[in-house]
Amino acid sequence: MEKSIESIWKQGFLKSEALVAPKLNDLYNQKSTHVIDKFNNMFRRNLIALVIGAFFAVAFTYWNEIPYLGLFLFLILNLLAMVNYKAWKELGKIDKTVNSFHYLKSFDKWMKEQVSMNRKFAKFMYPTFFLSIILGFWLGEFGGSIPGENLVAEIVSNYPNTLLVFGLPLYGILAITIITALLIKFGDKIYDFDVKLVYGRIYNKLGELIADMEEIKA
Amino acid sequence: MSIDFYTISILPHAGIIIKICRAYTNSQEDFEDYYQEVCLQIWKSKDNFKEESEWSTWIYRLSLNVCLTLLKKNKNDPKHFVSDTLPAEVTEDSRAFADESLNQLYNAIKHLSEVDRAVILLYLEEKSYQEIAEIIGTNPNNIGVRIKRIKERLKKLLDGKIN
Repeated sequence: MEKSIESIWKQGFLKSEALVAPKLNDLYNQKSTHVIDKFNNMFRRNLIALVIGAFFAVAFTYWNEIPYLGLFLFLILNLLAMVNYKAWKELGKIDKTVNSFHYLKSFDKWMKEQVSMNRKFAKFMYPTFFLSIILGFWLGEFGGSIPGENLVAEIVSNYPNTLLVFGLPLYGILAITIITALLIKFGDKIYDFDVKLVYGRIYNKLGELIADMEEIKA
Repeated sequence: MSIDFYTISILPHAGIIIKICRAYTNSQEDFEDYYQEVCLQIWKSKDNFKEESEWSTWIYRLSLNVCLTLLKKNKNDPKHFVSDTLPAEVTEDSRAFADESLNQLYNAIKHLSEVDRAVILLYLEEKSYQEIAEIIGTNPNNIGVRIKRIKERLKKLLDGKIN
């Protein structure tokens, strides 16, 4: 009697050897390459975005008549790009000829160093960024009147009792000082949040992969 | 403690992957490459798995997509076999299974178009028309008619070979 295709399928796969999974060769090498390549591409794209952002900041602020702000942002963003470009160059020096476990470990070490450097840098960068915005708006246009001085004059005329220190409202100085201090204090935490947002998934994959490989090696 | 993703999440479903990869390859070497690529893609894409469907259904869909992509890629590579020109004579992979009838059925399936292969594999795995339609990305109303047509074609291909 002729067998139906359904019964051929069922009976054929009843034999246990029909579904023996082939050995996976080199899977961890491929996984490692994938994770590192992905990170490398993201890092490179972010560097390019920083430089483009720096030029965009100059154009945008010039157009909006706050060019000092653009100038400060240009300097900060390019400094950040330069520091990280140097770190990225170091990444290229990791020996790719070693086995994938050691390759991943080297990459992990590089990443930890890079994060640690940027955490320190963040304590300087975020307050500088904030002060640049204040100063940029304060100074206004090249060669024009100074909006900050006009603002103080306005405050003094509306609130004659305002306390001034070196010609600046005390409350303003206090607010800026407190915010700057908070940014110095929590700059590293803000950076951690930033990193988690951008590279979080890759970090998790890397940690998972290293843990997997350590387990296999154990 | 980390547990090997392959062992707990892929290996229990290896049967699905093997069945699909066998239908789209004609040599043991290609089969192993496809199998490995599917496993790699499952690992890469696992974060995209949303629990809207079963894990096994998701693996079906991903395995089919990977095989179809590799097939398209390999069509431009003269080293690889093109299914449309599958010769009648015995191919390298025609003894992939211990069961001779199953080998013949697989060889017949390889004569089908890429999409028909996916449909019949899912049908033979007892997936509902709705699930087949979801995996393939088509209308469930057309699935029944299509399966009937595929089965007739397979029967013709197998005619005279199975008693």
